[in-house]
Amino acid sequence: MSDAQRLDAAPAEELLAYRARARAWLAQHAPAFSGAARAGLSADEDLALGRAWQRLKSEHGYACITLPRAYGGGGGSELEKIVFGEEELKYDLPTVYFGVSLGMPVPMMLRYATPEVAEKLLPPAICGDDIWCQLFSEPAAGSDLAALRMRATPATRGGVEGWLLNGQKVWTSWAQYASWGIIVARSDPAAPKHAGLTFFYLDMRSPGVEVRQIRKLAGETEINEVFFNDVFVPDSQRMGPVGAGFRVAIETLMIERYSVSDESLSGPAIEKFVCFAQDARINGKPALEDGEVRALVADTLVERQGLRSIHRRALEAIGAGREPGPEGAIRKLLLGRRRQQVGATALDLLGPAGAALTEGLTTVQDFAWSWIDSPGPRIAGGTDEILRNTIAEKVLGLPQDHRPDKGVPFNQPR
Amino acid sequence: MLVMLADQAERLLEDHATWEHLKSLLEAPGSFDRELWAQCAELGWPAAAVAEAQGGLGLGFEALALLNEKLGARTVSLPLTPAAVIADAVARGIGDHPSVTALATGERIGCLAFGELGESGLPRTPTLRFADGMLQGERALVPFAAIADVALCHAAAEDGIGLYLVMLDQPGVTRKATATIDNARAAATLSFDGAHAMRIDGGDGWSACLRAAALASIATAFEQVGGTQSCLALGVEYAKERIVFGQPIGRFQAVKHKLSDIYTELEIARGCAIDALAAAGRESTALPAMAAMARLGGIHAYEFASRETIQIYGGIGVTWEAAPQHHYRRSRALALELGAAPFWRELLVDNIFTLAEAQG
Repeated sequence: MSDAQRLDAAPAEELLAYRARARAWLAQHAPAFSGAARAGLSADEDLALGRAWQRLKSEHGYACITLPRAYGGGGGSELEKIVFGEEELKYDLPTVYFGVSLGMPVPMMLRYATPEVAEKLLPPAICGDDIWCQLFSEPAAGSDLAALRMRATPATRGGVEGWLLNGQKVWTSWAQYASWGIIVARSDPAAPKHAGLTFFYLDMRSPGVEVRQIRKLAGETEINEVFFNDVFVPDSQRMGPVGAGFRVAIETLMIERYSVSDESLSGPAIEKFVCFAQDARINGKPALEDGEVRALVADTLVERQGLRSIHRRALEAIGAGREPGPEGAIRKLLLGRRRQQVGATALDLLGPAGAALTEGLTTVQDFAWSWIDSPGPRIAGGTDEILRNTIAEKVLGLPQDHRPDKGVPFNQPR
Repeated sequence: MLVMLADQAERLLEDHATWEHLKSLLEAPGSFDRELWAQCAELGWPAAAVAEAQGGLGLGFEALALLNEKLGARTVSLPLTPAAVIADAVARGIGDHPSVTALATGERIGCLAFGELGESGLPRTPTLRFADGMLQGERALVPFAAIADVALCHAAAEDGIGLYLVMLDQPGVTRKATATIDNARAAATLSFDGAHAMRIDGGDGWSACLRAAALASIATAFEQVGGTQSCLALGVEYAKERIVFGQPIGRFQAVKHKLSDIYTELEIARGCAIDALAAAGRESTALPAMAAMARLGGIHAYEFASRETIQIYGGIGVTWEAAPQHHYRRSRALALELGAAPFWRELLVDNIFTLAEAQG
C-alpha cells in the first residue's frame, strides 16, 4: 500500500484535523494574496502575485498535494488535496494560471518522463515559475479531438532524431505565459484518425512557435491560438509509442480522477441572488415574492443539494479506496446552464440598469460579468452536448453515434 | 440486516408485482393488494422503521427508505410510510398509543390526512376543526384512506393547530373512495362529523404536523427515486431495441440526451433524498427545508422521467398494455399527496437562510 493510499484511508478525524490546519494556514496567508490585494493589478502583476502564492504553497506542502515532496509537491492524499482545494476556493486567489499546468501536464510528466527530466522540469512547474500548457484543440478538432491535423514529420537536426511540427492549435489556455507544453499531433495521416497520432512535450520557446492571444467575448485573454512552423521536437520528448497519441491524450484528460469546482462555477452564489431579489422590485413588490423568482431559487437549491450529496459520497468513496460513482459527471453540465440562467434572471431584476458592466469586477462578484462570461463554461472541458453523449454511452450503455469516419484512413476523402 | 431486507423485498416484489397484476389494481377505485400486505406484514416491513419500544424493529427511516425505493421501482402501493410517521409522531408527542403496535404488526393500516379542498399544500388554517374531543370537517383525497383503520391529521382547535389520531371505524367518519389517476393508491375522501379524536402533539401542533409531513416526504422521495430509476431502465432498454431508420433509436442524440437528462434528474433527486434522510437522523433544524428539497427533487425527477419514457416508447407508450403508464400515473399521484410542489417550494425559499446556517 502506498503512502497516499494509507492516508486516503485515514479516519475522518484526521481529515478534520487536516481541514482545520489548512483553514488556519489559509486564514493566515491568503488575505495578502486575494481580494483587496488583487484589486487594480495589471495582468502581469496578478500573475506575479499568483506565482508568489504558488511558491508559498509549495514551501508549506500545499502545492500539488498528491505529488512527491522531492519535486516540491505535498506528498499527501487525494482527499487532502480535495479538502485543501475546497478551503482555498473560499478566497479569491490568483490560482487560475496554474489550473491546467498542474492539473494535467505536470502529473502526466510524472508518469512519462525519466527521473532526470522530471527532476529538472517538475520543481519549477510546481512552485509556479514555469507554466505548462496543453495543446490539444485545433480549428477543425474540438469535441472531435482525433480529427486534428497538426503534422509531426520525422526529421533529424544536428544529429538528433526527432520530429517537425507544423500546424495550428487553438483555445490553448495561458499559452502566452507557458514555458512548456504537451501536444498531440498527426504522425501518420494514412492511418485511421485515432491511430495516427503521437504525443510529445515541447519547449514553448522553440523557434517556430508563435502564440497569439484570443480576445473572448467578455474581454479576457486567457486563451490563445498557437502556430507551429517547422518546430523541432527531439524524439526523446515523445510520450508513449508512436501512434498511441490518442490514448495518451485521453489518459491526460482522465488523470484528474476528481477535481473540485465551486458550487456556482465561478458565478455568484445563490444566496447573493436571494439578497438581490429582496431589494429589487417588480410592480412595486419585492422581487423575492415573485413566483418565477422563487421557483428559480428553489430549483437552484435542489440542484445544489443533489450535487453536494454526490460530492460528499465521492469523498467517502475515495476515502474508502473505492472509485467515485459516475454521477460526478453531471456537475459541470448542470452548473454551466444554471450560472447562465441565474445570471440572466438577476439582471432582469435590475431592469435597464442590469446591462451595466462595471470595470474591475469579477464573475464571482457580479451578475453581469457572470452572465456575459457564462457561455464559455458550457463549452470548455466538454460541451453540454458531448457530456450528455458521454453519460448516455458510458453510463447508460447506449450505442455510439453514427461515425462515418471511423476506421477509415484519415487522408482518404469521405 | 438492511441488505437482507432489501434482497427479501426485491424477491417478493419480483414474484408478486407483475404488470398484469398491477394493472388489475388500476381498474377500480380504492384498490388495495391485501394479499401482498399480509405477506409483507409477516416479513416485518411495516415494523421496520417503528421503534423497538413501540413494538417495531427499530431499523430507522433508512430501512423504510430502502423498502420504499423497491416499492417505487415496481409501482407497488403499500402504506409503510404512514405506519412509520404515525409511530414517530406518537413517540414524540405522547410516548405511546395502543394503535402503534397494531400499525407495526400490520394488523392495522394508517393514513396521513393533511390535504383539504382548495389548498395546494398543508393548510396552515385548516377548515377541519377540533372541539370537545371531536373532529368536524373534511379531508380531500387521502391515499390509503379507502382501507385504513387510523388517520393522522391536523385540525384547528381553540388554542391553535393540533395533531390528531382518529380511528376511522366509528360512526362519525364517512369515507368515499373515488376514481383517481392512480386507483392503486386506495384513495378516499374523509368526512368527520363528530368523530372522536386524540390530540398527540406535545403542544406545538403545527411543528408536529410539519415534521410528520417532512418525514413522509423524505420516505416518499425514495419511492420517487425508485420509480425514476425504473423509468430510466425501461427507456434505455427500449432505446437499444427499437429500430428506426436502420438503427436503434438510442443512437439518436434526441433520445440519448433525453435519457441522459433523466439520469441527471435522478441523481439530483437521489442526492437530495439521501441528505434529507441524514438530516432527519441527526435532528437538524433544517429538516423541513431538507425535506422540501427531497420532495421537490423527487417530484421533478419522477414526473420528467415518466412522461419522457412514454415519449421514447412512442405510440406503444400510450397504450394500457405498456409499462410506462404505471409510472406516469404514480408520479402524479405521489406529487399530489403530502402537499404539491408549490407548497414545498414556498417552504424551502422561506427557509433559505435557516438552511444556510444549519449547513454552515
